[in-house]
Amino acid sequence: MDGEPIILLEHVTVAYQDLVALEDVNLSVQPGAFLAVIGPNGAGKTTLLKTILGLLRPIRGTVRVFGKAPWELDGERRRIGYVPQVMSVDLNFPVRAGEVVLMGRYGRIGLVRRPAAADRQAAILAMERVGVADLADRPLARLSGGQRQRVFLARALANEPELLLLDEPTTGVDVAATESLYELLRDLHDEGITILVVSHDVGVVASYVDAVACVNRRLVAHGRPETMGSEVLSCMYGPEAILFGHGPVSHMVVTPGHGSDDE
Amino acid sequence: MVELLGYTFMQRALISGALIGALCAVIGVYVVLKGLSFIGAGISHASFGGVALGFLLGVNPVLTAVVFCLLTAWGIGWASRKGQIKEDTAVGIFFASTMALGILLIGLMRGYNTDLFGYLFGSILAVTSQDLWVTIGLGAVVLSVIGLFFKELLLITFDPEMAEIVGLPAEKLYFLLLSLIAITIVISIKVVGIVLVSALIVTPAAAAYQLTEDFRRMMVLSVVFGVGSTVGGLLLSYWLNTASGATIVLLSTLFFFTAAAFSPRRWHRPLLNSPS
Repeated sequence: MDGEPIILLEHVTVAYQDLVALEDVNLSVQPGAFLAVIGPNGAGKTTLLKTILGLLRPIRGTVRVFGKAPWELDGERRRIGYVPQVMSVDLNFPVRAGEVVLMGRYGRIGLVRRPAAADRQAAILAMERVGVADLADRPLARLSGGQRQRVFLARALANEPELLLLDEPTTGVDVAATESLYELLRDLHDEGITILVVSHDVGVVASYVDAVACVNRRLVAHGRPETMGSEVLSCMYGPEAILFGHGPVSHMVVTPGHGSDDE
Repeated sequence: MVELLGYTFMQRALISGALIGALCAVIGVYVVLKGLSFIGAGISHASFGGVALGFLLGVNPVLTAVVFCLLTAWGIGWASRKGQIKEDTAVGIFFASTMALGILLIGLMRGYNTDLFGYLFGSILAVTSQDLWVTIGLGAVVLSVIGLFFKELLLITFDPEMAEIVGLPAEKLYFLLLSLIAITIVISIKVVGIVLVSALIVTPAAAAYQLTEDFRRMMVLSVVFGVGSTVGGLLLSYWLNTASGATIVLLSTLFFFTAAAFSPRRWHRPLLNSPS
């Protein structure tokens, strides 16, 4: 695909004090992409998302989102939807699902101003889109893992984003709910939303997305799922990981020279 | 009861008790949900230094305490935001040093000031009309700011990262919240005292948390518990002839345990892996 990439990372290194979380990462996400960033726990996947969101600044390299440095984004912020890891918030917080979804509009509404009818309408539409409209009055603590994930997805969609970033969206969610969530993401992608999902669940992700990038501090590989082989797996998880690679993953073809950073 | 209400000092005590009970209860919702209880305790102890400074300079100690507590709150926020030290360590340092400064300042004063001990343990019956106006004025400021920034304060309490991502000034809002906590503490110390004021902030909100899963309802319930504690505790202390600040705090604790016993939260803890 041509055109200016929505997300562009060039030689990006991110560190927490002395600990280097990402090193020399190059990544380019074109409009309309459906990309999964996979990697083991602690590989820097969340760091990658936070860098794209401007919550962390790289010590080296350049980051561009919609053509701008993420911490200089202004009106462009409303073009980004973010679904954080479930555990990043207090799940017993006394707040109802509809209120959580409306929070997605807070930046757009602006300081001090109250949500208008249009904002509430957008929240309702987003909840309908992901199939949780009937849960609007349900307290957060009373949602199942799958419902909660959809509520947080609706919060991101309430902002009517062009780019959707998801951090481990299927943590604590059963297999059926995981698959239906990815089907929903595929539908959203078909409607034109660019999606970047971070996951450690290689097997499920690979059958839905267009491209996979493997991160383990460095960006190990980047390509179409079917070209990503056991070499990548072993690089990420160590040689023994191949033993667990049954199902779709173990049938992938290993192609030499897949380590290209660009599409 | 009627004769009791005939006394001007009792009227002032009841009005300021009710106002402060409500104010602490509202701010307490944020403190409890955001886990700022220890910061609250730290700021309240810092007010000792501010009060002592006021006595030394001969100005209204509430004013010096407001300045002192605001600086302490910002100091704690700044020190922990820089990431050099943990928040509780920052509180631990400010907590003791500001208190020590207060003790030092008292030592500089000629003689012994009994008023100061009213600030330490509360002296609601000694509330002057000037105190009451300060409470009304600053209380109105705190409540208006909360009303104005209601959605922003909700978001930085629930999900501060999201606040930043959607483009709200999350860090400034956090400092705003710390400032509101500091002001609330200062105007409350006359009622229950420096030592006990953090209980008046935390306990009613914690009791309300036991009974609801709705944010606004939690705030309303917290106010009910807060005003019930201050007004009820004040009347109880009069009849039982006990220390008013301590009676207020113990009554609010009783409310908390009662609420906890009837808490629906205890019966259902949703499992992370429950199916959709």
